[in-house]
Amino acid sequence: MNRADLAAMAQREQDRQDAFRCRVLCCASTPCLSSGGTAVREAIEKAIKDGDLDADVQVVSTGCMGPCSRGPVVTLKMRGAEDVVYEQVTPEAATRIIQEHVAKNEPVKEFVFPNDAPFFAKQHKVVLANSGQIDPESLEDYVARGGYTALAHVLREMKPDEVCESITRSGLRGRGGAGYPTGIKWDLVRKSQSDKKYVVANGDEGDPGAYMDRSLMESDPHRILEGMAIAGYAVGAEQGFIYVRGEYPVAAKRLERAIRAAERRGLLGSRMVDSQFNFRIDIRIGAGAFVCGEETALMASIMGKRGQPVPRPPYPSQSGLWGKPTLINNVETFGSIAPIILNKAEWFAAIGTDKSKGTKIFALAGDVNTTGLIEVPMGITLREIVYDIGGGIPDDRAFKAVQTGGPSGGCIPAQYLDTPVDYESLRALGSIVGSGGLIIMDERSCMVDVAKFFLDFCADESCGKCAPCRVGTVQIYKLLDKITRGAATLADLETLRELCVMVQETSLCGLGQNAPNPVVSTLRYFYDEYEAHIRKHKCAAGVCALNEKPMSPAVVAPPRPKRKVARLDELEAV
Amino acid sequence: MSDKASGKAPEMKHSPGQPAPTGKEPLPANKPGGASAPGAGGGAVPAKPEAPANPNDVSLTIDGRSVTVPKGTLVVDAAQKLGIEIPVFCSHPKLDPVACCRMCLVEISGPRGPMLQTACSVPVAPDMVVSTETEQVRAVQEANLAFMLLNHPLDCPICDKGGECPLQDQTMRYGPGISQLVEPKRHKNKQYLISDTIVLDQERCVVCWRCIRYLEEWEDKPQLGLFERGGATLIDIQPGKPVDAKTGGNIIDICPVGALTNRVARFAYRPWEIDRTPSICTHCSIGCNLRMDSRTHSVRRIVGRENMAVNDQWLCDKGRFAHGWINDAQRLQTPLVRKNGNLVAASWSEALEVVASKLQSIKKTSGAESIGAIGSAKLSNESNYLLQRLFRSTIGTNNIDHRAGADVAALPTGLPALVDLMKPQYGPDPKADVVMLVGVDPSEELPILDVHLKRAVRRGKTQLIIVHPRKVELTRYNGPYLGCRPGSEALLINGIAKLALKQVQNSHTAPADAAGFVADATKEALRTVCGVDVDEAKRAAELLAKAKNAVIIYGPMVAQGEQGKQVRNALTNLALITGHGSRLAYVGLEANSQGCRDVGLLPNALPGHAPLSDEKLRKTLEKTWGGPIATKAGKSYSQMLDGAGSDLKALYIMGANPASERPAWAAKLDALDFLVVQDLFLTETAQLADVVLPAVSWAEEDGTFTNLERRVQRAPKAVRSPDSKAASDWMILDHLAARLGAQWPFANVHGVTAEIAKVIPAYHGLTWDALGDQGVQWDAAAITRAKPTMQPVTQETISTDGYSVIGGTVLYDDGDLFAKTPLMQNMAFGAAVGINPADAAKMGIETGSLLKVSSAQGELILAARVDPSVRAGSVWIPESLPNAPVGALRNGAAVPHVEITPGPKSAA
Repeated sequence: MNRADLAAMAQREQDRQDAFRCRVLCCASTPCLSSGGTAVREAIEKAIKDGDLDADVQVVSTGCMGPCSRGPVVTLKMRGAEDVVYEQVTPEAATRIIQEHVAKNEPVKEFVFPNDAPFFAKQHKVVLANSGQIDPESLEDYVARGGYTALAHVLREMKPDEVCESITRSGLRGRGGAGYPTGIKWDLVRKSQSDKKYVVANGDEGDPGAYMDRSLMESDPHRILEGMAIAGYAVGAEQGFIYVRGEYPVAAKRLERAIRAAERRGLLGSRMVDSQFNFRIDIRIGAGAFVCGEETALMASIMGKRGQPVPRPPYPSQSGLWGKPTLINNVETFGSIAPIILNKAEWFAAIGTDKSKGTKIFALAGDVNTTGLIEVPMGITLREIVYDIGGGIPDDRAFKAVQTGGPSGGCIPAQYLDTPVDYESLRALGSIVGSGGLIIMDERSCMVDVAKFFLDFCADESCGKCAPCRVGTVQIYKLLDKITRGAATLADLETLRELCVMVQETSLCGLGQNAPNPVVSTLRYFYDEYEAHIRKHKCAAGVCALNEKPMSPAVVAPPRPKRKVARLDELEAV
Repeated sequence: MSDKASGKAPEMKHSPGQPAPTGKEPLPANKPGGASAPGAGGGAVPAKPEAPANPNDVSLTIDGRSVTVPKGTLVVDAAQKLGIEIPVFCSHPKLDPVACCRMCLVEISGPRGPMLQTACSVPVAPDMVVSTETEQVRAVQEANLAFMLLNHPLDCPICDKGGECPLQDQTMRYGPGISQLVEPKRHKNKQYLISDTIVLDQERCVVCWRCIRYLEEWEDKPQLGLFERGGATLIDIQPGKPVDAKTGGNIIDICPVGALTNRVARFAYRPWEIDRTPSICTHCSIGCNLRMDSRTHSVRRIVGRENMAVNDQWLCDKGRFAHGWINDAQRLQTPLVRKNGNLVAASWSEALEVVASKLQSIKKTSGAESIGAIGSAKLSNESNYLLQRLFRSTIGTNNIDHRAGADVAALPTGLPALVDLMKPQYGPDPKADVVMLVGVDPSEELPILDVHLKRAVRRGKTQLIIVHPRKVELTRYNGPYLGCRPGSEALLINGIAKLALKQVQNSHTAPADAAGFVADATKEALRTVCGVDVDEAKRAAELLAKAKNAVIIYGPMVAQGEQGKQVRNALTNLALITGHGSRLAYVGLEANSQGCRDVGLLPNALPGHAPLSDEKLRKTLEKTWGGPIATKAGKSYSQMLDGAGSDLKALYIMGANPASERPAWAAKLDALDFLVVQDLFLTETAQLADVVLPAVSWAEEDGTFTNLERRVQRAPKAVRSPDSKAASDWMILDHLAARLGAQWPFANVHGVTAEIAKVIPAYHGLTWDALGDQGVQWDAAAITRAKPTMQPVTQETISTDGYSVIGGTVLYDDGDLFAKTPLMQNMAFGAAVGINPADAAKMGIETGSLLKVSSAQGELILAARVDPSVRAGSVWIPESLPNAPVGALRNGAAVPHVEITPGPKSAA
């Protein structure tokens, strides 16, 4: 298949779609399916059949449309009219939509999610452009929307170093959380001398409440494949792996189908897109370990070893899979590649802030009116996300904090709601952008309890390799538990603070180094709450039991001389 | 003496063979920022800090002091060069870094300021600045120790490691003193057996991975692994699969806490109460260096001792655990003399008087030729030297030999050097690019050589060629494997030589007349007679022809009898054709196989491998020994035993047990006029003796042993029972010599060592003191040998009757000494016969069924052991099995043939 074939295929598919008067897009991603999406689709099909509209109407199962808490979501595309999004569609509503809107062009007003709502208006869809718009299992649908033209362009018109240079110019940074400049990483792998290189897409998304990667893999799998193939060409690799979290069977299935479809059409594999370039992609399924999202542990897992991190350097770009240079990026990073190539680096660089370019997908969760998957330009404020896109806190309760970056991140209190969301600003507040989980908490949340939740998670997910994480996270959890039980003293708070810093400073990999972050940031912003638990035996949110008393002083270890530790001083200064 | 033989191995921890570091020499301008920008106008100021003289060296600063070390050195090792200790748990100088204990975090300055990094995994970089003693580092060390101790039981008073435990030591030195963490400890398995000899305490374990890494990186047997995750992480074996690596005990030595303990030595010592004697192991001919820990006259445990020229720091499990015999209650404590048909206790003077008078009277009536002496390759150079001196000079006979002595076709100089086959953690690739093993199975016979070869193959570029009738463990490395029909080795080797000749035709290495000597060994013969794949033989020939430094090793299994000489001839041809003549080596398997030959415990050679006709040496010896030396070649071990009771009237046997080898020999020994046995136990042979003299073992008297690479090493006295009247070999022989009229000048055993060092040219200067703790390799060039030439090779016809017997030895053989360590008995091979699954299926037998194995000479009842490594059509019956003398079937044949029939049904 070459570029002409590609264009022809796109045209054919476009013509086929245009032949329908109306297209009904049913969200078939996990949240909508779990809220009854299958029944909705059946109702739609039945209504179409009953109304004898088969020839006129096409029903398509798509990926995620965004407002997940309002699922099942259905989008109606009428020829010559604007798209209409229906929310919380029941089978009865679905029947009505077909009977009234499709057949008689009378929108069912009570289910319409307005297009001009801030939820959509404030978003900027680049990576998610196809999500909810195409059938993820149809290669043609992807091609009809310009799919694989970036790859064809790169293979035909650009040299590997030009691709790397272009990505560098775009300012794209790693969307997995650390924010390392993607183009520079690509260039490092490109320059590594080796007979074999690998490209790995990290789809082992494990943060509680985050599902950006799942959604992308489920909604637009070809986009990831295209990005990986471009990367493979740019760095000189002929083999790629997608590491998919074990709990994402749908994503794995759709990726698998996408790979086979692309290979059948010559868009992947040997001499793809009529070029001299070969690139194969295989899927590796994880087995449930959170730490396998860490790149070195992920590679160990791909190689069939126990998923445990190894110290860096050497970095994967020098010595990764089987000791060969390996490019490893998040799936969302790969998802950003094709638009950058198609629209030029400058276009992408114009979005976002000075140091954080482009858009970022977040999974909005917790105490907001509309939760779901959003893609926003970097630099948008937290307030816009919470109050505009999320529609504010239910029942007009008070906003308390937002946890960014999952268990490795930190919480940000109300006074910083106007902070722009970018790598540097969040870091300055003691949190991170992370992979993109945003958990909004209102006044009903106890911050000690929140920290305890995350530490429970991290202690459970520690791989057990290095001592600080293996032992320290459990200790932090136990201290937090002690506070929530009411058995703690103020000395425990000191110990807690010190313990957190030591685990941060001494752990081997990112999991341990960042595991104490939720504690550190809640200590920073909600110290009063901790103190209230201990001194007054009081939990403002009423979450903690506080039904015990501290141990007698004789059982408590005596204090010891303090060491001077930079990070600890930093923390105490706040 | 060459450089090789010049004494101690370098005292370097990590990098033998590296150029010595310049150490404390101050280096100018080594501070960060010391490099000023290069002056554009070529000013007088030097632009850069002075780089180290060697481009492969790196200079860095640690705690304000400069040090220059080879590139690739880890920070922790560089610090050690300055005498700065960075505490570690997981890091080990012989293992790859994992950086999981986090104890070695130090501040290393980088572009973003000083950062905490693990000294055990970060290699040095030019101008690196390292601080190991800042407040921050201290805080981190305290925190990490607190983490380690949090779940570690405080059972030091009953822990074997207590007193020599790195965790204890570092807690005292770097620990916080007080911990703020008071939560209950986590509970896991205690006293958990991971093998019959190794006990694991998972609560004490700090998960440093040293044991896992040893088994992976050295043994290539990943038998231990991490299970569970997070705080519940523990080290365990695969369910139902105990650690059975032959050198698994080494994980006890390297465990930094008391998690892995030695079950044989458990609770038998406290580290502060023991005497530590640097000694060597005498279970095989490697001569591994070990430390014998003893208290109150008994050996409590054995641990490895580093010798980078021999065993790195490893020991095999037999060497480590099987020492129960030293202090066994059945040891002979007093001389025994036969009176009225019974052996009864006697005084030393009575016993020696009987021996002296009897030997003298037999010499008078039947001549010195009717007396013989058998020594032992398990005993020291001194013992064997004096034995042959007594009989050569004072008695006047050359009937002197030992088992696997003159009966095997050996070569005098052993391996060129063990280091050529070693790949230590830090150091260049091994010199030997190809190693060919003929009739040797290092995994069973020389376990530390097995470890070295595995490393050489996996981490160096060495390739293995294996010729063995059994598919031995090392064949898993995919080198050419030639599993020939037992007894056809001579033809096979000559065949490989013939194939190699084609490969080297264009070079000039092959002797001009080579073709004629290998003509018979056709491909057809290889296929039909040897039963091997000719393509494999070709692969082997190609490898040898291309190799720069191939080492060819053969062992006693293929060197026995007449056919053994043919094998040696064929190997000589092969080595000459491929140009590896100087690296063809015979290795004996006993601790002092090499030394026995060196000191002249042979019927046809004087000490130092000199022929009996060497007049110059004879004169020296006669002068030193004070009397003439017999000139006529004597009888070999088997000749003496075969002739016992007929032309041989008296035998003096020291440390050998021929009666257990063959029932026929036992009968002949019984027919002797006079039999003296000098041994540790009342062996089968001793039970037939007229006089039994109780001797002491290698642990109880100083002695030197020469290993398979000619390294002469000391084994000092470590223990000695105060209750026993047993005496040292040298003292017994000295007293006997005096009663026979000779006056020997020795005040102690070191005098004997000194005499050996004087009279044997190769041993010149190798006195007790000169040997040191690491031994000295004698120079192979000190022996004059005729230039090897091409040899004719004849292959005897191989019988196709019944099953051919594969011999060799196994590590856990249940021999006299091994049997005295009861904890190891489950590992023993047992009274068993290895049989190919196909043959077993044909006869409808399975592992455990009893089989009758019979030949014209006798029969044995053995348990079947179905083993795919055994070649079809043959059976594997190792030597020295309990109650199963293979000799009963052999009757002198190198490869006997036996009939196998299902035996009696077992009662159960």
